[in-house]
Amino acid sequence: MLEYKKNILIYLTAIILLVLLGVAALFIGSSDINSKDVISYIFNSSGVSVSTGIIIFEIRLPRIVLAFIVGAGLAVAGSVFQAIIRNPMVDPYIIGISAGAGTGVMLALFLGIEIAIFNLNTIPVFAFLGAALTVLTVYQLARVGRKLPVLTFLLAGVAMSFILNSLMSFLMVLRTENLQQLVYWLMGSLAGSSWNDINMILPYFLAALLVIVFYLKDLNILLLGEESAAHLGLNVERTKVILLGAASLITASVVSVSGSIGFIGLVVPHITRMIIGPDHRKLIPLAAVIGGSFLLIADTAARTLMAPMELPVGIITALAGGPYFIYLLRNKSKNIW
Amino acid sequence: MLKTDNIEFRYNKKNILKGIDLQINKGSFIGIIGPNASGKSTLLKNISRTLIADKGTVYLDKKILNEYSSLELAKKMAVVPQNTEISFNFNVYDIIMMGRHPYQKRWSGLNEEDKKIVKEVMVVTDTLKLKNKLINELSGGERQRVIIARALAQKPDILLLDEPTSNLDINYQGEIYDLLKYLNQEFKLTIITVSHDLNLTAQYCEELLLLKEGEIFAAGSAAKVLTEENIKKVYKAEVLIKMNPISEKPFVTVIPEANNKFKKERYKDFKIHVIAGGGTAQNFLYKLDNAGYPISIGVLNVGDADWQVAKELGIEIVEAPPFIDISKQAIEKNRKLIQKSDLVILSDLPFGHGNLANLEILLDFPKKKKVLFSNHSIKKRDYIEGKAELIWNKIIMEDENVILLKDKNNLINKVKELENVEMEM
Repeated sequence: MLEYKKNILIYLTAIILLVLLGVAALFIGSSDINSKDVISYIFNSSGVSVSTGIIIFEIRLPRIVLAFIVGAGLAVAGSVFQAIIRNPMVDPYIIGISAGAGTGVMLALFLGIEIAIFNLNTIPVFAFLGAALTVLTVYQLARVGRKLPVLTFLLAGVAMSFILNSLMSFLMVLRTENLQQLVYWLMGSLAGSSWNDINMILPYFLAALLVIVFYLKDLNILLLGEESAAHLGLNVERTKVILLGAASLITASVVSVSGSIGFIGLVVPHITRMIIGPDHRKLIPLAAVIGGSFLLIADTAARTLMAPMELPVGIITALAGGPYFIYLLRNKSKNIW
Repeated sequence: MLKTDNIEFRYNKKNILKGIDLQINKGSFIGIIGPNASGKSTLLKNISRTLIADKGTVYLDKKILNEYSSLELAKKMAVVPQNTEISFNFNVYDIIMMGRHPYQKRWSGLNEEDKKIVKEVMVVTDTLKLKNKLINELSGGERQRVIIARALAQKPDILLLDEPTSNLDINYQGEIYDLLKYLNQEFKLTIITVSHDLNLTAQYCEELLLLKEGEIFAAGSAAKVLTEENIKKVYKAEVLIKMNPISEKPFVTVIPEANNKFKKERYKDFKIHVIAGGGTAQNFLYKLDNAGYPISIGVLNVGDADWQVAKELGIEIVEAPPFIDISKQAIEKNRKLIQKSDLVILSDLPFGHGNLANLEILLDFPKKKKVLFSNHSIKKRDYIEGKAELIWNKIIMEDENVILLKDKNNLINKVKELENVEMEM
């Protein structure tokens, strides 16, 4: 019971922090709006100028919400990948899934196929196809017999990343008209987010999230190793395919609006595991909250540090996450789960 | 309840299992043994459906194994894999609770029955006190007990274990097998364990299955399966089988040097023949062997304490059945060994009808160097009305090559001395 109370406390703290961060982020931005206006807008949208209202509601708020969704999505996807591969050094960015999703999006844009069917935008579908294909390729490349050695998996992922990134650069060179925007997108950026973006990805995001939530217990069992999991009655191959698919779909949906933002999927699951332990039923929700908060902070920094210029937020997350990855590599002997 | 029908398994085009027929009844406790690459782990994995046989069928309760769903099978059969290391930090309670997975609905929380069963298996496996510990904090034996508890939480009819003690210290090995035996007897749990430890399986398992190159070589009780002959054929090793006096189960000892191809180079060029019996030589046989002398011994009764030591050391023995006079052939064989030796040692053995020939033979070798133990007077060792004393005295009086040794502990020094004299000549 003591542990139960402790966990509730952890969750409460995380959620309160998230709300505070979200509100605080409303006050910060490149255009100079004074705090009084923001407060009066929050409590009573009349009494502030239309342009201020637009900045707060159409620019800042969707960006805050999207930052949260993207951060949460990457953290959840990272946790799932780490559990399936049973390796704490896996993340959608490192193993090339983000690049795969990005390539899918670029191809769709390049070929001009951006069709909406039943109000569902197809960009995330292309991102998903790219991501799923990449995951499959990396998995098959890395497989040695019945085993999936970590090293070959990381190497295959990095190699795929290189190939896909150069493919993306090539497509970019061919399509020069909005180069800067694409470069930003490639580095990972939330600049120019709108409610439309959120509407576009939300159905895919929620569908994938639902699947993962449905399989939380199975993730724990998978951690015991595939053989043991099978002996405990888990249909391992099917579970793996479903979960890899769901995690790829989450990655794809967020990548299609934010580009490849690295290292959140690596760092956040780790930090969360340190706080609450390896049980995915507790881990995944908290990872989502922490991942969302983390990207919210990073993105707020990205849009204010060099205002009015915007930094791609991917630069900031990579600056924070890269050293952590090196630290993990160096500490391999210790128990890092 | 479990039956395999002529199963074959290939890996990399190599036949690992070449047609295994098995019939395992409910409540059995079976140990699968065999040398490396004999297919014992592969057989277990075919039974546990980790591997699927290329040919043949496995039946569990008269139903084909492959027709079970994962969940159904997990309720009937639990497996303790060879490598139980878990690289992340769940606590013991959570790990054991995972054994309830086949019974839990996706959304239902822990129900009372789950909690009750987990508590029961923790009591049985003595893991209750570890409940809140993290799995990585445990010792090897504790972790193994937790994994067994998790398997038991599945409420299986059959428990399969792959080398359950291979990474454990000897105290934990017994502990794990004690637990298995208890589960087998108390709960009629069917247990099949793969092990390379012949003695542990012999002590605990009701039946053994000895595999050789993917085929069943022998099956049945430990006494029937673990014979010197079987082990020589399967493992290509010379062993000595003794009976464990407590459990009356066979106990296998490797005979040192018997299988040693490098033996000759190590040995000195000074051969010693020992005449002993009744355990009078067991101490110094080890010492002489350690010092590197080639030793022969005879004539010894089969089963005699000195005979056992000599067997273990892999010494050449002239042996005779106990309780009867030594035969002519044995005496001749002994004579040949004495002829070949550079030194004869006669221990302080007692003489009776049966072994007087061992003393008499010395009269035929007046020119051989002899060390005679004289720490006990011959009178006390003579059980045939002075006959032995007579011969003894004759040797001492007439033979110039006799050295009497009062202190047994001086033997090695004396032998070394004699060896050096020999070398100088």
